[in-house]
Amino acid sequence: MSLNTWLLLTPQLLVALGVVCCLLLISWQRSQQIIAWFTLMVLLVTIVATVSLVGQPAVHVTELLYVDSFSLVAFLWVLLAGFAAVYMSKAYLHSHLEVHDEFYLLLLLTVLGAGVLVASDHFASLFLGFELLSISLVGLTGYFRHQRHAIEVSFKYLILSASASSFMLLGIAFLYSQTGSLSFVQMQAESADNMIAQIGFLLFIAGIGFKLSLVPFHFWTPDVYQGSPTPVTFVLATISKSAMFIALAKCFYVEGFQTLIALPSIHHALSALAIISMIVGNCLALGQNNIKRILAFSSIAHMGYLMIVLLVHQQQAILLARQAVLFYLFAYLIANIAIFGVLVLIERERNVGNNIELSHWKGMFWYSPIKALVLIVALLSLIGIPLTAGFIGKFYLIILAANNALWPLLIALIVGSGIALGYYLPMIFQLFKKEVVTMSHMTTWRIRLWISVIFLLSIGVGILPDMIITPLLNF
Amino acid sequence: MIILLMIALLLVFALLAWRVEKYFIQAPKVVALIAVVIASFLFCFQLFQAEHRFEVWTVIVDATWIEAFNIKLQFSLDQLSILLISLTLLLAFIAIAISWQEVSERQGFYYFNILCAIAGIIGVFAASDVFLFFVFWEVMLLPITALIAIWGHENRYFAAVKFFVFTQVSSLCMLVAIIMLAFMHQQQVGQFSFLYSDWQQLAFSPETATFLMIGFFIAFAVKLPSVPFHSWLPDAHTQAPTAGSVLLAGILLKTGAYGLIRFVILLFPNASMQFAPIAMTLGVVSVLYGAKMAFAQSDCKRLIAYSSISHMGFVMMALFAFNYNAFNGAIVTIIAHGISSAALFCLAGMIYHRIHTRDLAQMGNLALSAPWMAGVTLVFVAAAFGIPGLANFIGEFYSLLGVFAVSPLHALLAALGMIGSAIYGLRLFQTAFHGVKRDNTSTKIEDLSIREGAICLVLAVLLFLIGIYPQVLLQFTFQGGY
Repeated sequence: MSLNTWLLLTPQLLVALGVVCCLLLISWQRSQQIIAWFTLMVLLVTIVATVSLVGQPAVHVTELLYVDSFSLVAFLWVLLAGFAAVYMSKAYLHSHLEVHDEFYLLLLLTVLGAGVLVASDHFASLFLGFELLSISLVGLTGYFRHQRHAIEVSFKYLILSASASSFMLLGIAFLYSQTGSLSFVQMQAESADNMIAQIGFLLFIAGIGFKLSLVPFHFWTPDVYQGSPTPVTFVLATISKSAMFIALAKCFYVEGFQTLIALPSIHHALSALAIISMIVGNCLALGQNNIKRILAFSSIAHMGYLMIVLLVHQQQAILLARQAVLFYLFAYLIANIAIFGVLVLIERERNVGNNIELSHWKGMFWYSPIKALVLIVALLSLIGIPLTAGFIGKFYLIILAANNALWPLLIALIVGSGIALGYYLPMIFQLFKKEVVTMSHMTTWRIRLWISVIFLLSIGVGILPDMIITPLLNF
Repeated sequence: MIILLMIALLLVFALLAWRVEKYFIQAPKVVALIAVVIASFLFCFQLFQAEHRFEVWTVIVDATWIEAFNIKLQFSLDQLSILLISLTLLLAFIAIAISWQEVSERQGFYYFNILCAIAGIIGVFAASDVFLFFVFWEVMLLPITALIAIWGHENRYFAAVKFFVFTQVSSLCMLVAIIMLAFMHQQQVGQFSFLYSDWQQLAFSPETATFLMIGFFIAFAVKLPSVPFHSWLPDAHTQAPTAGSVLLAGILLKTGAYGLIRFVILLFPNASMQFAPIAMTLGVVSVLYGAKMAFAQSDCKRLIAYSSISHMGFVMMALFAFNYNAFNGAIVTIIAHGISSAALFCLAGMIYHRIHTRDLAQMGNLALSAPWMAGVTLVFVAAAFGIPGLANFIGEFYSLLGVFAVSPLHALLAALGMIGSAIYGLRLFQTAFHGVKRDNTSTKIEDLSIREGAICLVLAVLLFLIGIYPQVLLQFTFQGGY
């Protein structure tokens, strides 16, 4: 392998190196502060490395990985999410007595797993990334073992992700039996018309569907979201989902799979999956009181919307679809950083543990306007109101759906967005309700700075999307 | 540049009004008033400075916004937009004046919302890049929703959600149509374009045109509102604070009418001509249904809200008659209804401020203690049911005249709506000001203050002016000369 090949793999290698160094660091000196700052440093260096690599010509790194700008930008999103997660955890872990080295280690491993996933070009590497991600997440979800639901949540996630991976393995085996290859690029188009291959493909989708919590594989989502520590929920919502989706998209846009997806039966199955995810996810979120549960259901719907990009066929549309995936995931990431960031702060202020309810942010607009404003912008972005990043994301989806004549999906998108207003708006109104008791609230300059950055980012990307599109997504 | 400057100025002053509350509790309303005054001056300046009379849609601001999709920051003006922006600025004064003493809680954020809403509405009337239009169309909803949800009456959250869901879902239909058009432009010309002027060059098959037209039609019919999509209106208008109702009835509904003219009738003339019988029928149904429902209400704001549905039915019917007279009638009705319904909502707000109820059964014999208010109310009620000499008469008369030439049956049925409006209008006036309360007591209220009197006077003078000398409006052409 040439030097250039290794160069393109630098981000993943840096994170792996970071993991090793973390282990060494733990055996040398156990300190909460040092490890947290070290993890942040590793992520920061990796972010810089990734940004500088975007735009390089695409390269196969062995048969397993394929690094192009698409996967680099996707990894960049993952790293940003990881950075935010470490930052949140720093605030979150502060309140506990133990030294939490392992937490950061697991977090880095999750990022590494996501890094393998977004670069994978082979079922073996996909599975590797999948498992690395899941197993570290199992550790993370149950990390605070003394908390009420920790063990239950961790077990639920373990069992469901294990069954998901067995589904996926079976699917991969079926596909392999028919095509004789595990590599995406070597997938043969002729085998598409084969029952076994089709079933294998659907099983594979089912496995990934568990992770994306598409309906009907969504049952773990609300419980795990609610029971996990908030930074971990954030990781589940962003890193895990975006990496999974990118892996799926990479595999869908390969020519060998295109013929398979173009088959009416597969196309209908995927459309149905998307449509019920949009509708059911949104309907289930109505009437919930626990904020993390609402976010869990809304994430189901958002993954359903995003499925639209997987169903396009023409070559030209695929270029746009890649942009759409990355933009949508970015918008979703920013909104989640804002919401979860504020949630972590509120949990600390109010000492409510994991059970943060809507009533806990009642009247926030009047006593802590800056936090409330960030939340409002994030929620509007999730709704898809113009001048937020979420709108441009939705705009991309509608362009794709309309151009590829995916009318049922488009109708479901509109109906789903309508239903979604039924829980997003009450969330916003809650912020404006009159508050009876005034709480103590911390607004140190650090928090202010952090919140302002997110606020400017979400508004900025919404008003001038060229900021992201031109340098990062034009390839 | 002036339009952009006006919008920016309103937004900056909105922020200022919000922040300044911390230091001077009474300052926000003054800031808001100053902002609207300056914006109006800027607007007049632009009009007098220009050499032409804006007979065609003239581009006045043009800049690139989002390169990736070739979206422009383009504003244009013609006489229709100028007229509607003037109405917006007028009602902005009224909305600020009516809230002057009514709103005491959280004034800063209140005026922030009012100014943002006005900025958004001006943007809607002036944007000629359709993406930009859509952005303003959506963004103006947020402050109005906030006005309903924060300063509204007892059932405000429900009303706000309902209002938002209706408009949001319908505007997504419009967004799909917008994107389809931009995509068709890409297929025919080679790149995305959201410019209205580019779209006029597009060629499409009749079926495509019909589908696209319906996408736009739904969004505007919800806003107008026309009958199957009207149910958000009574709730939103009733629950909103007075200034919110004034903005909703006075201008927001007109954005629907404006959209119908600009994006349905002018962009898809053939498709809308085929669709016209359905649209006219919807209009007639709205006229009759609105009148019937208005008659049955006991809540005075709800009554006025239903009467709005009835009047906007006239607009819908007249627009789709494709007749010169009817079109002019529709324009006059838009303006007249904007003024008269704003006035009625102001009066309802004044009564609510005094006796804290909107229930007609709780009123009665108010004329005894407030003769001036009674007299003024009679003027506006009379305007609403179309007494000759007031603006609404001109609008409805022209509409009916034009529609009669096209479809006598529609005109005949709609004329019944005018009788209906006389019945509910007189009922409103009679029960509130002259009837006896159920328990035979009478409420004593204060008469109009100078501020309230001035508001009513301005609106009444305008109604009389248009009613007696309609040439003030009819001298302009609104691209309606088909």
